[in-house]
Amino acid sequence: MRKPPRWSFMAFLLILAVAAAGPPMLPGDPGRTMAKPFAPPAWSGGDAPPPFSGAITPASREITIDWKWDAPENLTLKGQLAFDEDSPVRLVWTTAEGGSFTLASFRGGSLWEVDLDARDMAFKTGLGIPPFASATSLLFPGRGVQTLSLEGPAPSGGSLDLALPGGRWGLLGTDQRGRDVLSLFIVGVRVSLLVGISATLLASLLGLSIGLTSGYLGGAADALIMRAVDVLLSIPVLPILMVFVGIWGKGLWQLVMILGLFSWMGTARTVRSLALSLRESCYVENLRSLGAGPWYILYRHLLPEAMPVVLAAVSLGVPGAILAEAGLSFLGLSDPRVISWGRMLHEAHGFGAFTAGAWWLIIPPGLGISLICLVFLDMGRAIEEMADPRLKGGGGR
Amino acid sequence: MRSYWTKRVLGAAAVLLLVIAANFFLFRIMPGDVVSTIVDPRFSPEAKERMREVFGLDLPLGRQFAVYVRRMLTFDFGISFLSQRPVWDELKSRVPNTVALLGSALVLSSALGTWLGVKAARKRGGFTEKVVLLSGSVSFSFPSFFVQLVLLLLLAYTFPLFPLRGSVSIPLPQTGTARALDYLWHLLLPAGSLVLLGFGSWAIYVRNLMVKTLGEDFILMARAKGLPEGRVLWNHAFRSALPPVLTLFLLALPGIVSGAVLTETVFSLHGVGKYLLDSIMGHDYPAAGAAFYILGLLTIASNLAADAAYALADPRIRVGGRVQS
Repeated sequence: MRKPPRWSFMAFLLILAVAAAGPPMLPGDPGRTMAKPFAPPAWSGGDAPPPFSGAITPASREITIDWKWDAPENLTLKGQLAFDEDSPVRLVWTTAEGGSFTLASFRGGSLWEVDLDARDMAFKTGLGIPPFASATSLLFPGRGVQTLSLEGPAPSGGSLDLALPGGRWGLLGTDQRGRDVLSLFIVGVRVSLLVGISATLLASLLGLSIGLTSGYLGGAADALIMRAVDVLLSIPVLPILMVFVGIWGKGLWQLVMILGLFSWMGTARTVRSLALSLRESCYVENLRSLGAGPWYILYRHLLPEAMPVVLAAVSLGVPGAILAEAGLSFLGLSDPRVISWGRMLHEAHGFGAFTAGAWWLIIPPGLGISLICLVFLDMGRAIEEMADPRLKGGGGR
Repeated sequence: MRSYWTKRVLGAAAVLLLVIAANFFLFRIMPGDVVSTIVDPRFSPEAKERMREVFGLDLPLGRQFAVYVRRMLTFDFGISFLSQRPVWDELKSRVPNTVALLGSALVLSSALGTWLGVKAARKRGGFTEKVVLLSGSVSFSFPSFFVQLVLLLLLAYTFPLFPLRGSVSIPLPQTGTARALDYLWHLLLPAGSLVLLGFGSWAIYVRNLMVKTLGEDFILMARAKGLPEGRVLWNHAFRSALPPVLTLFLLALPGIVSGAVLTETVFSLHGVGKYLLDSIMGHDYPAAGAAFYILGLLTIASNLAADAAYALADPRIRVGGRVQS
């Protein structure tokens, strides 16, 4: 009976798909403000109003808003309307208590462009209130049905979009700048995967070449290299990485280089011991007696033998690189323009997610990092078992 | 015995020299002239020359390095760019906090890990084993700071049992006992979370060693003699598995020091790791170099302590034979 493929391979494909297709499918820039800062997820309930949107189109010239909460933080009205007739039009706001305000008017023409924001000075003076007063509390004096209607001739095309940012937003709420956490989360997959995989590939390449050289050459070179590995393994890596990042800069590729330079030691050790045992094996001795040079043996025989080990080392090494990237980003030592899961946790910690009790800023990126790491660990184990079936079932458990 | 110690101490000295050299050269390969990063570029050439003399940058590189090594060994780290105070004066108060965090985390997680590991080895497939395996896999894949952030959110925000930040309360409690209790209260969550994250991998390692040891003939012999199970387990099996357990100390140490830097940041502790981060963020190079050096020194010192414990635990070294390495 054929066993189904390991769950981790399926999960890896899923993560790859999200990383490749997720960000382009997002509606608009993830850096946009969607709702007020620290808005909880829409489904988590609470007293806060959900975001509201409506449109004035040729088909519907009125928006009714059944508002059951305190006045919203802001109100925006954007878009354009086309008219056939050249006569004046007005946008009239009627409150639940019967008051009425003209938000905007148009003397007539073919195309009317509207871009209103309730925080604008001009908007407030148009309503006749002082610049520091809140326009929305004037427009939402009480709870009930408020309406926005277009008075004048019917438009022939276009639409005006009314948006009220809510105190609740989306699946995962918003961060300290009012950005949609779900979008940030999806965009963040890319950085973790990119940094994790490329840094580990670099490290494995280094480890492979150093390990092969060390194991095959032996002697003083081997002793020196292994001594260096011992030393590098005995000093804490994170402070070194921090110092390097502080000196070299916080760019993504600098980070990949630095992580690669400081995580080749494990692979080098494994590959070295493999090369050591292979060097003494009969077939290598035969090759040598046939006159094969060291580079030929290394390249054509030892390298293919070491490949499965290296592949497993890559997969097992990725979690380390991802965790290191996340740690550095969490410490704030990453490019502030690049959205990553570690950066999200950094911002949650640094910008008061705790005083807001905003768990939705902490749980998703943290679980994301952990999940990717678990997937790579399990894939690494699966590859190890394929390379060496003796590991299956035996050993630890 | 003597050759063991010569080797260990020489090795530690070599690593120390390496840390100092890394410190020295790292901060000199920065892009741009060191002076121009500190002083205003509009200073007159004479003033710049004067600065170079003050910082000793007019000496040849070899002399500079010799002076640097001497200053590092005497804890003379210079003046912080940010606070304009001697770096060591600022670091001095932070070292005990980091030592307390590192020390309690190391001791508690190894003690708990050893105890649970031995327990799991005695009863395979039991509840203890499940806990151990779960904690082990959590510590391999969950970022430590994420677990700590969740703990902080739960135990300091939702249920405010612990302080949200800091090493001590402000204002400080008046009496000595209250102060000590306050310090412990602030230390409990950071150190506890490190223990929670650290004991699993430790216990797995101990369990695997113990499972192997318990299968050996001398254990069968001890049981055959009718010794009580506790004695077989601890005095015979664990005693012979102790030296490799102590080498684990050496392997776990760098990770724990790295974890301490993150922990101090999460809990805003007044420690060396947080100081390193703040100095790097503020481009305060003397301070960053000093903090890096202190962390290296702490690692080397704990390495030597583990070596000493190893020497005590391994009769081949204690009695004075030769160890194949």
